[in-house]
Amino acid sequence: MTKPRFAVIRRFLRDRASFLGAAIVLGLVFCAIFAPVLAPHPNDIYDFHTANRLKPPSWDNPFGTDRMGSDLLSRMLFGARTTLTICVIAVGVACLIGIPIGLIAGYYRGWVSEMLMRIAEIFLSVPQIVLAIAISQTLGPSIENVVLSLAASFWPFWARLAYAETRSVKNEVFVESAIALGCSAPRVMLLHILPNIASPLIVRTSIGMGVTILNAAVLGFLGLGAPPTTPEWGRMINEAREFLPDAWWYVTCPGLAIFFVVMGFNLLGDGLRDILDPRIRRGGARRG
Amino acid sequence: MKRLAIIFSRLIWLVPTLLGLIALVFTISHVIPADPVRVIAGEQATAEQIAALRTKLGFDRPLWEQFLAYIGKVAQGDLGMSLFSQRPITEDLMARLPATLELGIAAVFLAVFVGVPLGVVSALFRNSPLDHAVRVVSVSGLAIASFWLAMELQLLFSMKLAWTPLSGRIDGFPPEPRSGFMTIDAIADRDWEALFSALRHLALPTLTLALPAAAQLVRLTRAGVLEVINSNHVLYQRAMGYPERVIVWKYVLRAAMTATVTQIGLIFGVYVLAGAIVVETVFDWPGIGLFAVNSILRSDYNGIVGFTIWAGLIFILVNLIVDLVHSFVDPRIVR
Amino acid sequence: MTTNAITNTGRLRMKTKMLRMVAAAAAMFLAPALASAQGRYVHANNSPFDNLDPHAVFDVGRAASRINMYDGLYRWVDNPPKMIPWLAESHTISPDGLTYTFKLRRGVKFHDGSEMTSADVVYTMERMLAMKKGPAGLFLGSIAPGTTQAPDPYTVVFTLKEPSAIFLSTVPEIQVVNSKLVQRNVKDGDHGEGWLSRNDAGTGSFALRRHDPAVGFIATRFKDHFYGWEPGKKWFDEIEFRSVLDVNTRVLGMIKGDYQGTDGYLPYDQIERLRKEPNIQILEDESMRVFYFAFNMSRPPFDNVHFRRALNHAFDYNGFINDILKGSVARNPSPNPNNLWGTPKDIKGYEFDLDKAKAELAKANIQLRPITINPLAGFPETEQASVLFANALRKIGIEAKVEASPWNIVSDRFRSKDTMHDMVPLWKSTYYADPNNWVGELFTTRHHGGRSTTWYSNPELDRITDEALRITDQAERTKLYDKAIRHIVDEAVGIFVYNTKWFGPYSSKIGGIRFSPIGSGQEMRWAYFK
Repeated sequence: MTKPRFAVIRRFLRDRASFLGAAIVLGLVFCAIFAPVLAPHPNDIYDFHTANRLKPPSWDNPFGTDRMGSDLLSRMLFGARTTLTICVIAVGVACLIGIPIGLIAGYYRGWVSEMLMRIAEIFLSVPQIVLAIAISQTLGPSIENVVLSLAASFWPFWARLAYAETRSVKNEVFVESAIALGCSAPRVMLLHILPNIASPLIVRTSIGMGVTILNAAVLGFLGLGAPPTTPEWGRMINEAREFLPDAWWYVTCPGLAIFFVVMGFNLLGDGLRDILDPRIRRGGARRG
Repeated sequence: MKRLAIIFSRLIWLVPTLLGLIALVFTISHVIPADPVRVIAGEQATAEQIAALRTKLGFDRPLWEQFLAYIGKVAQGDLGMSLFSQRPITEDLMARLPATLELGIAAVFLAVFVGVPLGVVSALFRNSPLDHAVRVVSVSGLAIASFWLAMELQLLFSMKLAWTPLSGRIDGFPPEPRSGFMTIDAIADRDWEALFSALRHLALPTLTLALPAAAQLVRLTRAGVLEVINSNHVLYQRAMGYPERVIVWKYVLRAAMTATVTQIGLIFGVYVLAGAIVVETVFDWPGIGLFAVNSILRSDYNGIVGFTIWAGLIFILVNLIVDLVHSFVDPRIVR
Repeated sequence: MTTNAITNTGRLRMKTKMLRMVAAAAAMFLAPALASAQGRYVHANNSPFDNLDPHAVFDVGRAASRINMYDGLYRWVDNPPKMIPWLAESHTISPDGLTYTFKLRRGVKFHDGSEMTSADVVYTMERMLAMKKGPAGLFLGSIAPGTTQAPDPYTVVFTLKEPSAIFLSTVPEIQVVNSKLVQRNVKDGDHGEGWLSRNDAGTGSFALRRHDPAVGFIATRFKDHFYGWEPGKKWFDEIEFRSVLDVNTRVLGMIKGDYQGTDGYLPYDQIERLRKEPNIQILEDESMRVFYFAFNMSRPPFDNVHFRRALNHAFDYNGFINDILKGSVARNPSPNPNNLWGTPKDIKGYEFDLDKAKAELAKANIQLRPITINPLAGFPETEQASVLFANALRKIGIEAKVEASPWNIVSDRFRSKDTMHDMVPLWKSTYYADPNNWVGELFTTRHHGGRSTTWYSNPELDRITDEALRITDQAERTKLYDKAIRHIVDEAVGIFVYNTKWFGPYSSKIGGIRFSPIGSGQEMRWAYFK
């Protein structure tokens, strides 16, 4: 692609879907950072009013109150922090483990590469959430363990992706010439290969965030996630279940939050793919 | 011959992959914080009771010895006893598998029959309002937490409108299982009342499971069809004046079929098998997903390990079958 | 619609199937299920019946299978629970309190028609002791294997290792199995466990007809049951216990008439929903199931009585009982249930008062550290109590961390003082109706690593409770337990919150339910259709 950069960005902004995605993700970050300011009742995270429990939405409590009489909106805003922390760290750790493994396995040929990818295959032989459940069940419920189990079950995706991409660029002229010029292997991998496989990785990161948020919510829903005092969206839905059908807002609001945030990351991912990774542009559908 | 060789090498790789999976799951489960012996002994057990049982069950032996013994047992299909029900895991899983399959197959069918046509239509009428609507739905479908969707559907259709049952597989005590599929059993008996009951119970869980799968299929089919439509030989044929209908039928359907077949393994594994865990929990559907969640709630680690191995096995086998079918549908992939 | 209707009419329908199909479709979609099968009682249970062996499982949630299909030597009925002769007609105790001789009822039939004799009782005791599971915990300490005698077909003699005032109250848990039938089905020395987990070998009021571990069981009324069935009453012909884990499904099924009964410990919001229904009656009874916070007494600052009293003043009893539980239970200020003998009636307990808590904390004058609370996953009430408590503790300057774990992990941690969290909110249910079940087990040195949940050790308390186990005179025992309970409350060894109330939802067509804290209203032999 030889188009100038600014044109690419302009196209990204013009695409309403991508723009919406970016706006939602920025909104999530904003909510997470400014939760104490935005929340109508920031103290409700720790301060309960049991006499006021399970009240439907009102001016004072726009999303109603929960089982302890806390303002649901305030707890959800703080929940944005939990969600963002979990998905950023989990995906980050998965990338830090998976991408180097994929790079090394893709760069070298031999039994080490074969072994590394075989191990990744073993992890991939079970659906990710199944493995994450097994791991976090073992470790016990806590935010750290959610992050750990999601990262431990997610790294093979990055390894496989980095491996495939590395393989495909390894025989390109620029890599071969770098090797011919006597660059060390780490230098070739970091300075020549990595920048050239970055685009698909970045696209996947955005979509991976969405997947991770959904998986974290499943762990929270199964009671394997954050401890009871921590505001977390999946856990809130789990808590709310016993109060159906009366407290409909209690189930509905956190679920909508998950929905919008995941959709935001997915739309952003699609948009980034159009710009960064022209090879897999949505079937050439853009442009019209 | 080449195809046979590929099949053969795949089957060979199955063994180390499964062994690795068992090792992985065994490692995970043996650092579990609960003492399984304590669970078997029951909450009123005394210290001597527990010590005696520990020796009897072999939990006092070194870990590697336990692992070798475990591998040996798994090879014979023995996954140990459920620490809660005190019955063989394999038996429990076997008894529950038909429920999961019935739901899973229904969901895959629904997803394919809704997702693929929508994807084709969406691609053919690219950038029309219809296309936009389909894409909004498909993007949404992938973003919904299925346990939440399940609860919202229950709230609306079961609690408010009372159209569908809230949970379970059938009204009343289920008849003696034969095929294990409630619908098939009911048809075989010509018991239409039971059939309707089973279908009504199937409705919401199927819908919940099928939505993300259908959304994914819409996207893939649409992309596949667009690729074909924009390809050079379709352009050529169009230029040659072939009727549009013939082109659509010939190329578009093949593209759709290829997309479906290649993705069905992924769809089955990621959306149906993994989705079954939460969907079965919400709908109290007595399949292996609910079994897994119950095992989690009781820290029944034999149950968790057993489920994980089964899930892995099913996933691997489905992918294998899909690869084989794919190699027939699209001979190009046989290098 | 119930299966009975489905199976009975299944064959008749062949000819007019199309017509029927349309009619059935209309019926299924338009009318909610109306009538229940004639004579069948359907109970939606919150635990699965995946194992029917009465000697393998021993929890309250799965009591229905053993209590309806098996009989013990004696049986607990009503509330406050009293023990009535059952398979045994009477007993005598030797003067040294070591030998218990039971006279068995004659002519008691097992479900296969054979007669129950003392050999079956001996086999039952030996089987429990050998399996070392579930109810065996009640007997392993007091009875040695091979010591139970059957001098004649209608006499059984138990010999205890040491005198025990509670042995008699555990006798109802000797659920007698058909020894010949079980022995025929033993595989690889498994005591017939594999077989008995799916089958029934009892004398009970109902005989197993079908069992599906994923669903539940159906049992038919045993016409030859020794207790007889008074003519003229519409006893249940069949009972069906189905496992329905989701609370909302149980409640909705009750409203629609699919179920005639469900468990009596539903969240109170759901009870209020059911109260509005005309076809449902809610029976009420004060149970014996005390909700309390167990303290791990082995670590500072829990060794400081002022610290413990500060904690006792920091729990919002009113907020929890009146708001969260909507006033559905009554405060129970001591470890023993208010409605059991031996519990002092004038005991006051602590009240929620953060100023007093701060004052006690000042008196304690100790180094504070973050403390941990370990509620039970899947029991939202324990979680809410913990979160509420953590919140109040923060206000008096104590940091509390809440981490939920499944019950078996929590109970596993009780085994060691190092693994148990600082505080655990939980219930102590009735395993036998004797004060020892609470104060004698939870706080005594002899139960460390076993049924003690506190690691508390106090020589005086040990002496009192041991003595109360040795003597059998109830008046004397009452005095001892009075003293022991006062000691625990004064020393603030735990936070004692409430005694559970049982709200049994049943179809209003049903009468004769007899609630007893042991078995929690799941015994169906007394119940009938009005």
